[in-house]
Amino acid sequence: MALRNDRAVQAARDIELVEIEDGYTLVGGPEESITQQHDSDRIPEVDVDQEMLSNSGEDPESWLMYGGNYEQHRVTTADLITPDTVSDLELEYELSVGTGSSMEGTPIVVPGDPPVMYQTNGPNHMKAIDPREGEVLWSYTYAVPMGVELCCDDNNRGAAVWGDKVYMTTLDSGVVALNRYTGEEEWYTSTADHEVGYSATWAPVIHDGTIYTGSAGGEYGVLGFEAAIDAESGEIQWQTDTLPEDEWVGASREHGCGTTWMTPTIDEERGVLYTAVANPGPDFDGTVRPGPNFPTCGTIALDLESGEFQWGFQSSPHDVWDYDAVAPRVLLRDVDVDDGPSEMVVGSDKTGWVYMMDAESGQLHERSQEICQHINMWEMIPHISADERIPFVPGAPGGNDWQPPSYNPETGYVYVVHQNFPQDLYWRYEEYSEGNPYWGGGLDDPASEMPDEWNESITAFAAVDPATGERVWRDWIESEDEFYMWGGSMSTATGLVFNGTQNGNLVAYDGESGDRLWEHEFDVPISASPMSWYDPGEEKQYVAVQVGGSGWLRQGTRGDTLAVFSMGA
Amino acid sequence: MSQTPTTSNTKLAERGDLATVLGVDTAGEEDVTWTNLAGRVEPRPDPTFASRGATIRDDLGDRLDPDLLERERERIADEIGRLPDVRAAGVPDEPEGLYTEVAEPGWRLYDHLLEVGFFERLDETLPRFTAEHVETTARELVLTEPLSSALDDVGFDEGEKTALLSAVANDSERLSRWVPSNQIPDDVEFDTSTIPPLHQRAMGGALLWIRGLDRHLWQNEVLVTEEILDDAAWYVKAMLGGLFVSATAAHDLATAERFTDEQLTAALTAGTAVQIVSQEELLHAVFYITDEMRAPSELR
Repeated sequence: MALRNDRAVQAARDIELVEIEDGYTLVGGPEESITQQHDSDRIPEVDVDQEMLSNSGEDPESWLMYGGNYEQHRVTTADLITPDTVSDLELEYELSVGTGSSMEGTPIVVPGDPPVMYQTNGPNHMKAIDPREGEVLWSYTYAVPMGVELCCDDNNRGAAVWGDKVYMTTLDSGVVALNRYTGEEEWYTSTADHEVGYSATWAPVIHDGTIYTGSAGGEYGVLGFEAAIDAESGEIQWQTDTLPEDEWVGASREHGCGTTWMTPTIDEERGVLYTAVANPGPDFDGTVRPGPNFPTCGTIALDLESGEFQWGFQSSPHDVWDYDAVAPRVLLRDVDVDDGPSEMVVGSDKTGWVYMMDAESGQLHERSQEICQHINMWEMIPHISADERIPFVPGAPGGNDWQPPSYNPETGYVYVVHQNFPQDLYWRYEEYSEGNPYWGGGLDDPASEMPDEWNESITAFAAVDPATGERVWRDWIESEDEFYMWGGSMSTATGLVFNGTQNGNLVAYDGESGDRLWEHEFDVPISASPMSWYDPGEEKQYVAVQVGGSGWLRQGTRGDTLAVFSMGA
Repeated sequence: MSQTPTTSNTKLAERGDLATVLGVDTAGEEDVTWTNLAGRVEPRPDPTFASRGATIRDDLGDRLDPDLLERERERIADEIGRLPDVRAAGVPDEPEGLYTEVAEPGWRLYDHLLEVGFFERLDETLPRFTAEHVETTARELVLTEPLSSALDDVGFDEGEKTALLSAVANDSERLSRWVPSNQIPDDVEFDTSTIPPLHQRAMGGALLWIRGLDRHLWQNEVLVTEEILDDAAWYVKAMLGGLFVSATAAHDLATAERFTDEQLTAALTAGTAVQIVSQEELLHAVFYITDEMRAPSELR
């Protein structure tokens, strides 16, 4: 499939990510969004209904949402690939997506003959793909307005489907709905003003005809929110600010951030969503926003129907290290514990621990053993003198940044990625003089001096028993290039866990022991999270992962590959 | 009942520092306390303290409700007296209750002060925390007998009072990081228009921390130790002590009862300083629970 004549791909290529003083912006994009159809007639016109979505996690032929299911287990029940057979897993094809920008997404697959994959990458580019051969059926590029402020990259992490539509969040803090059979735009809804710093990068999630989406812009003084949008009309149903007024002093709340910049987790039984809540603002000066800054750097539960606040839990109150909680929450049911909750919300956070919370109340069941090292943790309040710096681990990327964990029903473990790299945080402080900087924060990556205690491994990939918080195994990963590991994992019901590394290796681990059973090496880092499905028409199980460096720091070399592996029956 | 902080603010070295700040030679002495310092500190009148106190009195005296201030001041004192029972109750059994109640009179005081523009006026009138301003404050504080006896009356023993004094005198650098909102220039990397006044941030922050303890301790019960609970109770007492000092100063402002203008400035500064230092200490001792601090897991 040649993409050189694809206008949507070309438009995405024309958009340039440009570094500016406090992040990135985009230049050179199209004035209007562009759809390029190739072979859209091949898409079976079978609308996606609620039953399909609710069963997505159980159906081996489906991967209908970012997290695999509403609980965000990221697990496939397809069972051809097992610990005994994984060594036979082979590369089926590599598709060049043609845009070469941020590659952090997880494709979704709608079952059918053929199945249809919807795949996204930066900057706001989507494709419908026949995943049997890797043929592009249509392409779409959203016309991101110039001037968007992006902290970290031009990320888009995936699509959502409902009925005859497919949805994507947009970098200007919106949601766009496309006809999933033709790729043509149906509606666009803005959730907030991108000119004041709001943006959107995650995959939305849809339940009962309502799209749930969040907010980004936590480095630009926004006020975080979660929003519900009617999937048919695009009308906003409710929009709940994350920061309760009575938890903040005066107007400090107005720029208090607390954004929600990853896909929320849906609890169909309770009728609530759980979402991670990011850092407070301003990032580094806590004196202007006293108190715990509830519920920043934590987890909240909101009612699906009304957006009403249920509970919140903080892993780093009054944060000044950018320890925003952001990885998708994982909802577990029937956890085998003696006394206590059997239904848990698991949060793997930048603080370097995994938190098991009672889904009903938010009370902590247990905190895990440490996943990354903890060196000079939570130092520097009160602010230290201007010249002093303390290297600290986890650094600002964590711990667990946005990389989604996975849950393996076969082992009962949750698998998490934590960075383990020393950084310096410092405060500039000087008497004010007209025209000169007064005070502020800065982050040095790497730390100016590496602490003796640091083990020189940049990342840890680990299995955690949610019943006890035990760190069952841990794979320390080194990177000669000192790239961060920037993607999440996927589990199989047969007991495997797949994860891509910053060194370009897609690895299949034995979920029980942590042994590496299979690896495939790419020449650029993997910054995305894999997924899998079974195609009865081909009698094959597939594993797909996007390949290419991405992210906020130490992203590594760019790539534009969608890699699909397969194993026959 | 004395609640000695485990993260002690009254170590010998710190008491020595306190004496040094106040210009008192205590070499070889162990008994460095508010009371024995009070008998040895030389008064060093600072005309700016007097003029600032007078300005605040002129601006705010008529706006404040003395009855409300007296009522809430007494209730804050009652809550200080209730803290041993609160500590004895251990981990709260719900996310709102024990400590939420402790903070309530403080919130009523805060709301009244907010309503009359008290905090803005302090920001406009009082200087930033500098070593010199903090030293003068500590000196005036130690010489303000009515304040000393008021703290005695509400249950601060000599060690605890000295800890409050240390929080003011020994932390000028830390306090200097808290800048009055009207002195933060526009070219910092955040919007300064929504930053509340410094003295509002100190009091509001202290009250949020106190109220937040119910949720924090209840949610994190598996991590919480007796030592953490002890520290929570002490730093709440210290914050309430700071609030009580602020309330006493505000009440004096409204009634012109006992304080000189210098003492008024010192009491307003010191009340805020104690609230700031204590909330930062609480944060480390109670909210930032590392693996070294946490209760051992019962599940592994």
